[in-house]
Amino acid sequence: MHISEGVLSAPVLITGAVLAAAGVAVGLKKMDSDKIPQVAVLSSAFFVASLIHVPIGPSSVHLILNGINGLLLGWMCFPSILVALALQAILFQFGGITVLGINTMNMALPGVISFYLFHKFVNQQRRLLPLAAAFACGFLSVLFSGILVAIALVFTQESFMSVAKLIVVAHLPIMIIEGIITLFCVAFLHRVKPELLGGIYGKGS
Amino acid sequence: MEKGHNITIYLLILFFASILIISSDLPVLAHKVIIFAWIEGDTVFTESKFSDGKKAINSQVLVFDRNGKQLLEGKTNNKGEFSFKIPKITDLRIILNAAMGHKAEWRIPESEIKEAGGVSEKKRAGGSSQPIAVGLSKEEIKELIDESLDKKLKPIVRMMAELQFKGPSVTEIIGGIGYILGLMGIAIYFKNRGKKREVNRDN
Repeated sequence: MHISEGVLSAPVLITGAVLAAAGVAVGLKKMDSDKIPQVAVLSSAFFVASLIHVPIGPSSVHLILNGINGLLLGWMCFPSILVALALQAILFQFGGITVLGINTMNMALPGVISFYLFHKFVNQQRRLLPLAAAFACGFLSVLFSGILVAIALVFTQESFMSVAKLIVVAHLPIMIIEGIITLFCVAFLHRVKPELLGGIYGKGS
Repeated sequence: MEKGHNITIYLLILFFASILIISSDLPVLAHKVIIFAWIEGDTVFTESKFSDGKKAINSQVLVFDRNGKQLLEGKTNNKGEFSFKIPKITDLRIILNAAMGHKAEWRIPESEIKEAGGVSEKKRAGGSSQPIAVGLSKEEIKELIDESLDKKLKPIVRMMAELQFKGPSVTEIIGGIGYILGLMGIAIYFKNRGKKREVNRDN
């Protein structure tokens, strides 16, 4: 879902960069020194995830992991994803430097949205609700990202509906897989360290 | 409390280490589209792939000249290939538009096209099926050599094309994780320095 260099026009790139910068600023503000290792670990996971390619479906798709990033980091997923995307652009030539802003925006904003949607549910002491919320978080984050990419591409010649459909269909397997991964992460953290699932901005876990 | 925190981090590191191991076993890697073009005779061949090895089928290919004028366009076939006769002796910019915001570019400089075009022109004029005379002129020898070189170099050109489509190496992956850990260290350093200063001021 990385948008390549030279596809988008300057206004779209600048808008993306400005919004991403704002997100990163908020994220950095909320980042305490004891949260930094957690951000780094999830950033690494995001960085590596793009190499895991899922050979199902019509196009070339890979894991994204923006759902779990957002769920565990909240606004801090902006710096986390920015760093990972920058390194992917430099080392793997995925995406590119000029599209860094818009790509960060497309990946991190859905993470933040799903944080606000789901973080209240995942740390509850019930059986199914947290797991269902985790699955939905992983699933919907990818879906939102797909929609954001489609919106960014509207300003090129491609029409919104056809691009959106294409992206969503291509990423359907990824949505399901990410849902399952997020579910297992949450189930695991529930057993090992439930504080991580609660107030990420809270009283220093 | 502190212990629990460490365990989580170790387990998360384990999690992405296992991801790394799985990914290095997969024959295909992720997400970039590449177009590679080469000349054979008077035809330009292109091949397009995603960096995981999946072919970019049915994707738009645009060919521009030096001044950005579009010369022709076409679509890749189901092998990700597209070929066209050299339209004009100029620098060619070949652009691949795969869907979902993927784009790639390959340039062929004018000099390369001039050479290739020159050969085929002569061939057409002279006719290569003529019985070979005992005494060969310089041009004829050059032509024959060019022809057989084209043939012999074909597998090598293919190999180069394959090399273009290589995904990220393990070194780059591990390097990237190293960068992230390094940034983490820097971030912690600056955060802690700020804190220390506050403490000093309070004292």
